[in-house]
Amino acid sequence: MNEVVLLSRRAVREIWKLPAATLPTLFIPLFFLAVNIGQVSKTFNSDNAPFLFGQDYVAFAVPVSLVFAVSTATSGLALVTDIDLGYFDKLLVAPIRRTSIVLGRLAADFVRGLATASLVLALGLAFGMRIASGVGGAVLIVLLSALWGVAYAGIGQAIALKTRNVQTTNASFIVFFPLLFLTPNFVPFELLAEPMQTLARLNPVSYVIEGLRSLVLEGFVLADIAACLGVIVASGTVLTLLSLRVLANYDRD
Amino acid sequence: MSGPAVLTRQLRRRFGETEAVAGIDLEVAPGEVFGFLGPNGAGKTTTVRMLCTLLPVSGGTALVAGHDVATEPSAVRHKIGVALQEAGLDPLQTGRELLELQAGLYRVPAPRDRAAELLSLVGLSEAADRRVKGYSGGMKRRLDLATALVHAPEVLFLDEPTTGLDVTSRITVWDEVRRINAEGTTIFLTTQYLEEADQLCDRLAIIDGGRLVAEGTPDGLKSALGADVVTIGLGRGGTKEALRQAVSTVAGVDHVVDTEGGVAAYVTNGAAAVPLVVRALDEAGVEVGTVSISRPSLDDVFLASTGRSLEEGAA
Repeated sequence: MNEVVLLSRRAVREIWKLPAATLPTLFIPLFFLAVNIGQVSKTFNSDNAPFLFGQDYVAFAVPVSLVFAVSTATSGLALVTDIDLGYFDKLLVAPIRRTSIVLGRLAADFVRGLATASLVLALGLAFGMRIASGVGGAVLIVLLSALWGVAYAGIGQAIALKTRNVQTTNASFIVFFPLLFLTPNFVPFELLAEPMQTLARLNPVSYVIEGLRSLVLEGFVLADIAACLGVIVASGTVLTLLSLRVLANYDRD
Repeated sequence: MSGPAVLTRQLRRRFGETEAVAGIDLEVAPGEVFGFLGPNGAGKTTTVRMLCTLLPVSGGTALVAGHDVATEPSAVRHKIGVALQEAGLDPLQTGRELLELQAGLYRVPAPRDRAAELLSLVGLSEAADRRVKGYSGGMKRRLDLATALVHAPEVLFLDEPTTGLDVTSRITVWDEVRRINAEGTTIFLTTQYLEEADQLCDRLAIIDGGRLVAEGTPDGLKSALGADVVTIGLGRGGTKEALRQAVSTVAGVDHVVDTEGGVAAYVTNGAAAVPLVVRALDEAGVEVGTVSISRPSLDDVFLASTGRSLEEGAA
């Protein structure tokens, strides 16, 4: 456990030592938030769109931006940079459990997720959004978002460890598009045309967005929160185990 | 430590069809500075990576500090320090942060004190709180050495520790290696610099094409070649074959090997051999460009073992 704490501390220190690695990840979510509100808020408003539960469109869009903000390849890039610089070899030759290298990075993803989710949420509140579930709900939204960031980080980490290539790891953001856009990100499931609606219902990320959205628009809807948490735990477990498996076979490649 | 610090038997490593290390036997005694000499691509780094548990062996066995690298990698990692070819440092951390982290990972008691002690030892106390990315090449190399020493390892692997360094930094690293060795640490050092091997190593092995071609003390390997080396450069119009043939017939010539511009003759007495060599070449009608006498160097050892000059390869 000690080594996980030590490596987490190092990874967390990187967040403020290299803000250039985190700040660009906020660009896409904030850009989409601004664009979505600008383009759609007149089409959907509290008078004609019951799915907004009496709020402006910003309240519907912020959960999507939260998911966008924490779904990054940052920790994968940090890993592949360590590999590139030879520091990774120093960690591999240290008498530590190799799992701690991956877990240490995930801890930093959690901290980064807390910070970026808080920022996006604060921005939403500044734009007039209200959180139906109150302060407790706001805390839960930030926590769930950060945990989703940890789960998603497994994709970048697995690619980094398998390819050991900065460009390929950087290109892993391509995964981001189908996962995050085949969702009810603009309108609810029911308003999506087929086959988009079926694809969105099959996409687990949809349920993360829906869970966060329910906390903003409706309050504590247990079924939505449970589905959101279930997807986070399941995908986090699968993707982290995948990274650990790639790392376990690292020497053999 | 009882038994050898490093012991390999028929150690092999394949990459696809290529055999990078083709069955080498090494034995390094505790407390030795052991040099592993060879040109780029000879198999030095591959051997070191296997001994450090960073690369699985394809065949044979390797024991480091008494532990098998294949079956007891964790025990090996507790006993070794490693500074690989490219200083593996995190540029975002300060020297102090890096050493404290390293000391923590090795569960060294009082990591802060140990980091301060090592920073002072390698002359980096003043730069301790600066980020590593601002360090010079020599400073990075010394910090890398310090990170390899946090847990006072029994065996220290240094893979080309001075490659790319200027002369001053190189001498500083040599002094550091001598100091570490004087404290009882066995050092396994790979290098392509002959002077480095000559200066630092108690014993060395030469590897070429994945195979050991010579092993012994630097003086022993050099003296095995004969007392002197007479190097003859070919003049215009002569052939190397005729030159070699004429020189081989001279009394006192032990053996002859080709060099880039002529041949090198290993003789018992250089001063006595030169007039005889010149006369033999004159009689054979071979035009001579240059003639020089020197004591055998490690490059002569390499040349005699492989037919190539290491210095040409390393240049």
